[in-house]
Amino acid sequence: MPRCDYACRTADHSVTRRGFLGAAGATAALGPLGFAAPGAGAELAKAQKRVLVLFLSGGVSQLETWDPKPNTDTGGPFKAIPTSVPGTHICELLPHTAKQAHRLAIVRSLNSVSPDHGIGQRIMMTGRPPEAGIEYPELGAVAARLLASGAPGLPGHLQILPKGGSGFGTKADAAFLGPKYASVSLGDGKPPADLLRPKDLSPESDAAREEFRRKLNDRFAKSRKSAATDAYTESFDQAERVVRQGEVFDVEREDPKVADRYGRHDLGRHLLLARRLLEAGVTYVKVSHSNYDTHHENFDFHIEQLGEFDRPFAALLDDLADRGMLDSTLVVVMSEMGRTPKINDRYGRDHWSKAWSVALAGAGIKGGAVVGKTTANGTAVADREVYSGHLFHTYLAAVGLDPTKNFYPNERPVPIADPKAAAIREILA
Amino acid sequence: MLLSVLLAAAVAADDARNPLHPRIDAAIAAGHPDFATLAAPPADDAEFVRRAYLDLAGTIPTVAEVRAFLDDKSPGKRAGLIDQLLASPGYVRRMVWFLDVTLMERRPDVKVTRTAWEEYLRAAVANNRPYDALVREMLSNDGADPKTRPAAKFLLDRNLERDPVTRDLSRVFLGRDIRCAQCHDHPSITDYKQAEYFGLAAFLNRSALFPSAAVANAAIGEKADGDVTFVSVFDKDKKQNTTPPMVLGGKPFAEPKPEKGKEYKVAPAANVRPVPTFSRRELLAGAITSPENTAFARTAVNRVWAMMLGRGLVEAVDWDHPGNPPSHPELLDLLSAEFVRHNHDVKWLVRQIALTRTYQRSSEAPAALAKLESVPADRYLVANLKPLTAEHLAFAVAQAGGQPGGAGSVGTFRAMFGGRPGESQADFTATLDQTLFLKYGPALRGVLAPRAAALAKLPDEAVADELFLSVLSRRPTADEAKDVADALRRAKDRTAALSELVWALVASAEFRFNH
Repeated sequence: MPRCDYACRTADHSVTRRGFLGAAGATAALGPLGFAAPGAGAELAKAQKRVLVLFLSGGVSQLETWDPKPNTDTGGPFKAIPTSVPGTHICELLPHTAKQAHRLAIVRSLNSVSPDHGIGQRIMMTGRPPEAGIEYPELGAVAARLLASGAPGLPGHLQILPKGGSGFGTKADAAFLGPKYASVSLGDGKPPADLLRPKDLSPESDAAREEFRRKLNDRFAKSRKSAATDAYTESFDQAERVVRQGEVFDVEREDPKVADRYGRHDLGRHLLLARRLLEAGVTYVKVSHSNYDTHHENFDFHIEQLGEFDRPFAALLDDLADRGMLDSTLVVVMSEMGRTPKINDRYGRDHWSKAWSVALAGAGIKGGAVVGKTTANGTAVADREVYSGHLFHTYLAAVGLDPTKNFYPNERPVPIADPKAAAIREILA
Repeated sequence: MLLSVLLAAAVAADDARNPLHPRIDAAIAAGHPDFATLAAPPADDAEFVRRAYLDLAGTIPTVAEVRAFLDDKSPGKRAGLIDQLLASPGYVRRMVWFLDVTLMERRPDVKVTRTAWEEYLRAAVANNRPYDALVREMLSNDGADPKTRPAAKFLLDRNLERDPVTRDLSRVFLGRDIRCAQCHDHPSITDYKQAEYFGLAAFLNRSALFPSAAVANAAIGEKADGDVTFVSVFDKDKKQNTTPPMVLGGKPFAEPKPEKGKEYKVAPAANVRPVPTFSRRELLAGAITSPENTAFARTAVNRVWAMMLGRGLVEAVDWDHPGNPPSHPELLDLLSAEFVRHNHDVKWLVRQIALTRTYQRSSEAPAALAKLESVPADRYLVANLKPLTAEHLAFAVAQAGGQPGGAGSVGTFRAMFGGRPGESQADFTATLDQTLFLKYGPALRGVLAPRAAALAKLPDEAVADELFLSVLSRRPTADEAKDVADALRRAKDRTAALSELVWALVASAEFRFNH
C-alpha cells in the first residue's frame, strides 16, 4: 500500500527517503548519482541529449539584455544593436552574443508570477508555481532521470556555483525522483571532496588494498549477501569509476588559449568546466553567475556582469557548434525573475516578474526565432504571454521528451510538466 | 510507595519463574512452519561479542576484550557479558544516541543545545528512568525554567509548529504516520482519520512559542481558548468540523471550564507569556503515555526491538495500521504488556531481548536457507545485518584505529552518515560522498594511523591475529593470515603497508555492518 508521502500545507518538505528508494524492503539505494548502464557507445554519445542552464542569479534585467527599450522612459542609457538576425536587436552590452543570434530563440513575453528570489527560482527551475503538499523536481533532476547518460559513472545532475564547497551530498532538488538525481554541487568549479588519491598512497598500494578489501567482501558475501551489502560494495566500484574520470573536473587541463577565449575570470572558468562536463557526457549542467540583483546602480552592474557573461557565452556556443554538440545540447539562459522597467531613484531596477525574457539555443531550438512582445516601454506583455510552465514543456520537447507524460511516485501519477501549459511551438525546430 | 515496592517484588519473583526471553523465542519459532530445520545456529563467540558490544555499548570491543571473551570457558559467559555491558558507560552513551535519533531525527539543534540535550538524556538513561515518565516530562515541560528546559527539546526544536509536532507525536510515540490525514481521511488506510489528526493537534492548538519562534530562548505560552477546525479537501460542501483533544480513539477529555476571569494563572498581556488555569498541552503528556493508550508501549517496544534486531515487528516503525500488520502480532502484544508491567523499564527490555536465542542467532545463512530464493527478513531465521549508525561508525573506527573514545570525530561522521534531518532512517544507503570519504578522506586516514604504528612494532607472526582482532573482532582465517604475511613480505615500508591493511578491513562490508 503506497504511503502518502507528502504533507499538506506544512513548511517541511516531506517526500521521504523511504518513498523514493522504491518498493518495500528494497534497501539497495545507489546514492545520489544518476548512473546509467555502462557500455554507452559512440552512437549513443552522438544521440545523447544534454542540457546546459546559465542561471543569471539575482534577476537579470531584460531591458539590458534581450528586450531593450532605448529612448523610452524605462529604457536606460544603452543602445539596441543589430544582430546576426536581420530585424532582431538586443542590448549593446552583448556584442558577442549578438553575433550568435541566429542560434538563439528569444522569448520576450514571460510572466513568471513571483518577484521573489527563492520562489522565483523554484518556479523557473520546476516550471510550476509552488503548490501545497508537494515539491516538484527541478529541471536538472528531470533531465538526469529521463535522458540517457553518456558518462556512466559520472553524476547526471551537476551545478557549478560561484562559491562554496563541492560535494555529492543529497539535496532536495530532485524531490520525489530521489537522491540519485539530486544535484551535485561544484562550488567555484572545484572538484568534489576526497576525489583525489592522497599523496601518501601510491597507485600500487591503492590497488593492493582494494584487492584485499574485495577478498574480504567476497568471503563475507558467501553467507551474508544482502541488498544492503551489495549496495555498499558496489558504491566502492562507483567511486572508482568517478575517480578514474576525475580529470573531467579539472579545467586546468584545457589549452591556455581556449581558457583565454572564455576569459580569465570565474565565470569563464566555470563555463569552460561546463563544456568539459557536457563533452564527457554529463546530462545536465547548471552554471550560476552572480549577482544581478541591482536595486542600486543597475546600469553599472550590468556593464560589469554582462561584460563577464557575453564573451564566454559566445565562445561556448561556438565550441559546442564546432564539436557537433550544439544540435544535441539545449542551452538556456534564465534567471529567477527580471527587473522593473521603472528605474528607481538609486538608478536601480527592482524585482519584477510580469514581463521579461529568456533565451534558448541548441538542441531542438529554432535559431533566430523571437516570440512574444512587451509594450513599448516594457511594462507589460503585449503578445503571447507565457509562464515558466510553457518554458518547461519547451525544454523537454526540445530534447525529444514528451512533457505530457507522468512520473509515478508512490504509484500516483504526477505530470512531468504542468498540464496547464504547453510547449512554445514557434521556437521549436 | 510500599505498594509499588511490593508490586516490583512480585514482578521480579514472577520473572524468575517465567522469564520473558524464552517466551520471545517460542513466539519467533512459531512464526515459520519449518523454523527448526531452517533457522541458523547460534552466532559463534566472535560474532556474538562484536554484536553485543555494538548493540549494548555502542562500539566494537578492544583486542583484550575480544581475547578475554573468546578464552572464557564458563557456560554463562554470554549472559555475563550482557550484564557487564548494560552496566557500562557505553550502554548509556549508546542509548543516548538511540533516544536522540528516535526523538529528534537529526534535526538541527535550534533551541536546546546538543550538549544540554545529551546531558539530559544521559542522566535519564544512567538512572534508567521509566520511558513513560521521561516522555511525560518532555511533553509537559514549557521550557521556561533554564534548569529543566532541555526536557522540552522535542517541542521547542520543532518550534512548536502545530502540524510538524502533531505529525511527529504520532510517528514517534504512536507509530502512526498520519500526516496524510491532515487534509482528509487517508484514502486507503481505513483507520488513519482526519479527526485523529486534529484530535492530537487540538492539544497543541492553543500553544505557541513566546515571544516568538525566532527568539532563541523562547518558551511555550498557551491561551485559554481556541478550537481546531478542519475541512476535508475531498468534501465538496466544505463542511467545517471540529474535535476536542483526543488520542487515538480514546475518550475525549472533559475540559474544565474555569470561572470567568479565572481562565489564566498568568493572563496574556504585552510581553507576558500566558499560562492558562487549565492547559490542554499538559493534558497531552498524560494522554499519550496513559496505559489506556496501548499504542504508546507498543510503539516503544517495537522501536527497541528494531534497534536490537534490525527491523521492527511492525516495519516501518512509524507505519502501524491494519494493512501493515506486525510480523508476530502475539509477540508484540506480549512485549507491550510486559513492558508496561515492568514500569516501562527500557534496560530490562533490552536485556530480555539480548538474552534470546533470536538475538544471538548467527547472521550466516545455513546451506538449507541459502538455497531459498529469498529469505524473509521478518521471520528471524537468520540474524539481520544492521548498518552501523553514524555514531557507531565514528566510535568503531576510532576503536579500530587504536583511539578509543573517538568522541572527536562524531560530528564529522554525523554530518556524513547521518541522513536527512526529520526523517526516520529506514533504509541503508551508500552515497558517493560517503564512499569517497571512506576511500580517500583524510579524516579516516588520521584516525587509523595509531593502529598501523602499533602493529608495525609486532613480530610478523603476531600481526595478522592482532589486526583482525582489533578491527573485525575475530581471528583471521588461514587464507587471510597468509595474505597478511605476503603483504608484509612484499612491503617496502612496513607501517605504510599495515595502514592500508587496516584500511581494507575498515572499508569492508564486514566492518560496515553489525552482523
